[in-house]
Amino acid sequence: MTTASALRSLEATTGIEPIVAWRTWALTGHRDGSDLLLRPVAGRSRPWRPMQVTEAGCKHTRLHASPSLECTCGLHGTHGLDLLRRTRCPAVLGRVALWGRVIEHDHGYRAQYAYPQVVTLICQFCFWQWGSHAARPDIVGWFARDALVPLCWGHLELAQRYGMEPRRLLPAHEVDLALRETYAVDQLVHW
Amino acid sequence: MDIGRPQRIIEIEPVTLPLPSPDLPAYEPTTEPAPAPTPDPTPVEPVDP
Repeated sequence: MTTASALRSLEATTGIEPIVAWRTWALTGHRDGSDLLLRPVAGRSRPWRPMQVTEAGCKHTRLHASPSLECTCGLHGTHGLDLLRRTRCPAVLGRVALWGRVIEHDHGYRAQYAYPQVVTLICQFCFWQWGSHAARPDIVGWFARDALVPLCWGHLELAQRYGMEPRRLLPAHEVDLALRETYAVDQLVHW
Repeated sequence: MDIGRPQRIIEIEPVTLPLPSPDLPAYEPTTEPAPAPTPDPTPVEPVDP
């Protein structure tokens, strides 16, 4: 049996409870910390709008619904946290509800619909080095193209030394609160 | 990010969407006139000059 035919032979089961998985996002917003938007960490996909269901799309082809077995499209979530430490420039860590058509993989999921359930800001450098338990940021740097990057004091100093100078600094606890209020979700506290 | 090989497909139709509902109803100003004040049933005591 070929890989493609093996994939096609997967039978669908049904359920009524959304799956909850781990996920990271990039974050954008205005210089005063308003108009916060969660965005995928990879590519230039559409942002996740507050109070709206996010629906998967596929930029490669319009010939299949997303997620497709023979593509990598869909809204991703993972079983565990370690895999997320390899994502590029994560600013927000959280748990996400997935539903609709969901394809379960060895280490995570690709889904048709999603909405965040709990979120918290993370210092991406601490997250890469030590994991999520020690990634609490102190400030959020506002950069070009409205990119918001949460950092601890130590990594802010390191970033500045290497020329990564934020145009403005915002208190992390204020941005964290504003983000949760924007999406009407709780804070990720224990994991 | 490599999440491995697909294992199964699940079609999930939640009974309620896992989406927050607004805590407060939208504010709609009333267009009805305010009720007329009712007369005070307590008699007014005469004041001594």
